[in-house]
Amino acid sequence: MKERLLRDRSLLIMVVPAVVLLLIFNYVPMVGVITAFQYYDPLIGIWDSDWAGLDQFQQLFADSRFWHALSNTLYLSFVQLILFFPIPIALAMLLNSVLSERVRNFIQSVVYLPHFFSWVLVITIFQQMLGGAGALNQFLRSHNLGTWDVMTNPDTFALLVTFQGVWKEAGWGIIVFLAALAAINPGLYEAAAADGAGPWRRMWHITLPGLRGVIVLMLVLRLGGALSVGFEQFLIQREAVGHDAAEVLDTYAFYYGIATTNYSFGAAAGLFKSVISLLLIWGANKLAHSFGEDGLYRK
Amino acid sequence: MLNRRGFLGAAAMTPLLVACSSNTPQSAQKVGTNSKAGLKAALPAHVPSTAVKPDIAPIAGSGGAVTDPGFLSYPANPVATVTGVPGKGGSYTAITPLWGTVPPANNSFYQAMNKALGATLTMKPADGNNYNTIVTPMAAAKKLPDWIQLPSWWNAAFGTDRLVGSQLADLTPYLAGDKVKKYPNLAAIPTGAWQAGVWGDKLYGIPGSAYNFSVAGAIFYRRDILEAKGITADQVKSVADYMSLGKELTDAKRGVWAFGDVYTYLAFSWDLPPNWKVEGGKLLHKYELPQLLEALEWHYQLAKSGYVHPDALAGQNANSNARFYSGKELIQGGGTGGWNLSDYQSGVAADKNYRRGAFNYISHDGQSPARMFLGEAARIVSYLNIKLKPEQIEECLAIANYLAAPYGSAEYQLINFGVEGVHYTVKDGVPAATEDGKKFVQAATFPFLAGPAGVISNLGADQVTKDQAAWQAANVNALYKPAFWSMNISMPQQIALLNTSQAIDDAIVSCVRGKKTVAEVKSVIDSWKKSGLDRLKGWMTENVLNKYGTGQ
Repeated sequence: MKERLLRDRSLLIMVVPAVVLLLIFNYVPMVGVITAFQYYDPLIGIWDSDWAGLDQFQQLFADSRFWHALSNTLYLSFVQLILFFPIPIALAMLLNSVLSERVRNFIQSVVYLPHFFSWVLVITIFQQMLGGAGALNQFLRSHNLGTWDVMTNPDTFALLVTFQGVWKEAGWGIIVFLAALAAINPGLYEAAAADGAGPWRRMWHITLPGLRGVIVLMLVLRLGGALSVGFEQFLIQREAVGHDAAEVLDTYAFYYGIATTNYSFGAAAGLFKSVISLLLIWGANKLAHSFGEDGLYRK
Repeated sequence: MLNRRGFLGAAAMTPLLVACSSNTPQSAQKVGTNSKAGLKAALPAHVPSTAVKPDIAPIAGSGGAVTDPGFLSYPANPVATVTGVPGKGGSYTAITPLWGTVPPANNSFYQAMNKALGATLTMKPADGNNYNTIVTPMAAAKKLPDWIQLPSWWNAAFGTDRLVGSQLADLTPYLAGDKVKKYPNLAAIPTGAWQAGVWGDKLYGIPGSAYNFSVAGAIFYRRDILEAKGITADQVKSVADYMSLGKELTDAKRGVWAFGDVYTYLAFSWDLPPNWKVEGGKLLHKYELPQLLEALEWHYQLAKSGYVHPDALAGQNANSNARFYSGKELIQGGGTGGWNLSDYQSGVAADKNYRRGAFNYISHDGQSPARMFLGEAARIVSYLNIKLKPEQIEECLAIANYLAAPYGSAEYQLINFGVEGVHYTVKDGVPAATEDGKKFVQAATFPFLAGPAGVISNLGADQVTKDQAAWQAANVNALYKPAFWSMNISMPQQIALLNTSQAIDDAIVSCVRGKKTVAEVKSVIDSWKKSGLDRLKGWMTENVLNKYGTGQ
């Protein structure tokens, strides 16, 4: 043990700042979950606030709007998993097959860019293009073709937010897959090509197995974050489609907890979300291990 | 000039009620509100200022409402109302909300002000849009600055009723009754404005801008465009007239819609109170009034009519001014604070004919008399830290007296325009801000600590002043004091939580955007009624109505 510590000391020293940051900003604030079991009042502090036991949770579970927000969140998460998750993988493989480095760098920069836009900007761009008075609808209107109301339609909202998410984040999401692709030994492709394997066979038998570990890791993380579908994107579009379609757990905790100064209630909603997320990530990791994959860590 | 843009609008939807936990150990605040006698004893005497005569004199109306005086020019040789410097060399930190870009610390304007004040006031303006979330952590850590501004519409979020006496200083011994006469400019602030700073029969707050004609907002229209079509404000007498305007003005193919967001301000045409109505000695909450549903039905129809700009229906409110300036949206609701010089300048930059007009208050059917409730006389209220020593409090009050110098005085000129040659230049008798003036002075900081009675003045845009004064005069008789007007009510938290309902507010927004029918809103209201309306009413009746009356 002592020998290992001595051997790895420079690595350990390098990791100290990150651990300290994690402790201060992620672990110490966890003490605050106590407020979920109180009638917390910021002016008298955690120590003097009245104890509520499980009262906040009882109120939470009795609120139909909470369950509605939860089912919305799960639904949106599911739609995003199906429609969003495969896109960065496909994009990375496509980009990897482009031979010209200049073209590749150009495409890469273009698809990265939207990641750095704020949600306000992204939604404004969508509104300007697809909104009721946007470029598309003004064109349709001037040609008497009716209008296509996609920005305010609650029924197609899940598709809209997924599309916005793809536009904004898919380019950024390819980074990790590109790195995994770069790690695949080019000799394998050459050998396969020499044996007469076409592009589809090479993809099926070399590229995808090479990516499998990373795909499973991303999937585990994705499931762990299934209840975090985003906040600003929904906050900004809440009025456009109505709260029935746009309410997710995070906006629920914000409106019914923080905005109404009912802090303990918001904390209870947040704690519930964290516990479920932990269970999801634990389950997904377990599943990955049972398939012989690394998951979050090697067993 | 004070920028009231934005926050008057927010105030329209905000109750005066404040959460209070009954188990607070160190709070001196009692649940309920001010008693009549206690309020009277705590309020400072009123000695009006006669420094300058307005070009447009105020007109008295109903409910104690008076129009604000209008000024078309600034006196060439302004008089000083304070002799010597008010400060004694003390150093204080002040935090105020700012809706705009924060000016750099220690800039030339702050330096000039500190020299004139004879004290070091370190101004730390904070983002106005998030101000409600900035103050609570400071209060929780018991680290409020020496001087802080707490806008009254956020009293519930701040817990102002419990901060007074525990973290904020009692000013009654310094200002009550005739004691205020030591500070003549403070004595000239109207009594109604001081009322916003009285809690538990003691005076804590110093009013910022005090407006006599204090209303939540109005329905604005592009006067230049409508008048060119032969439409004038007096033709609009009922909501049916609004609907026909929608038909006449909307030209979707050209990208022009008659309406933006109007619900917040047009709903008052159905005689909705800010919170409560008292009928036959019984309390009625605004959510249970039948006319709320009528108003919602009309707005639901409007949303479906195709006369509302699609971006407004999509809740894109940040661009609503741009739509108004470019003539894509011709009628919209808004706070009266947005009707000012900078609005005129932005509008004219987009369209040289730009002229903002406001429709008169109406009753929805055009038959019954139009009624609009009066808002609090001051929504900008500042407080001093309880840790200050008595001589420090006196120094701050002397500084507040300087800051409250009336329109037309030398002090007002420095506070609102800065130093001539540095922050503004005078052209044809009109002060025009320099780049430094725009950056350092126009970002309102000092006026948020204390200010004189408000005026209408838009130097360089007389038409705006005349239009606004004429609109106030035409509507001053529609105003009335609503139940519990300017009574600072302190509620136990469980009761305060019943008083507002995010679920109802959400349903209302969905309805006026055409997403939810009125029947669906009604079912949300019905379940809110069952969840504790009786408890809320019982508490209000017992602790406020029966003890202190309606304050009307």
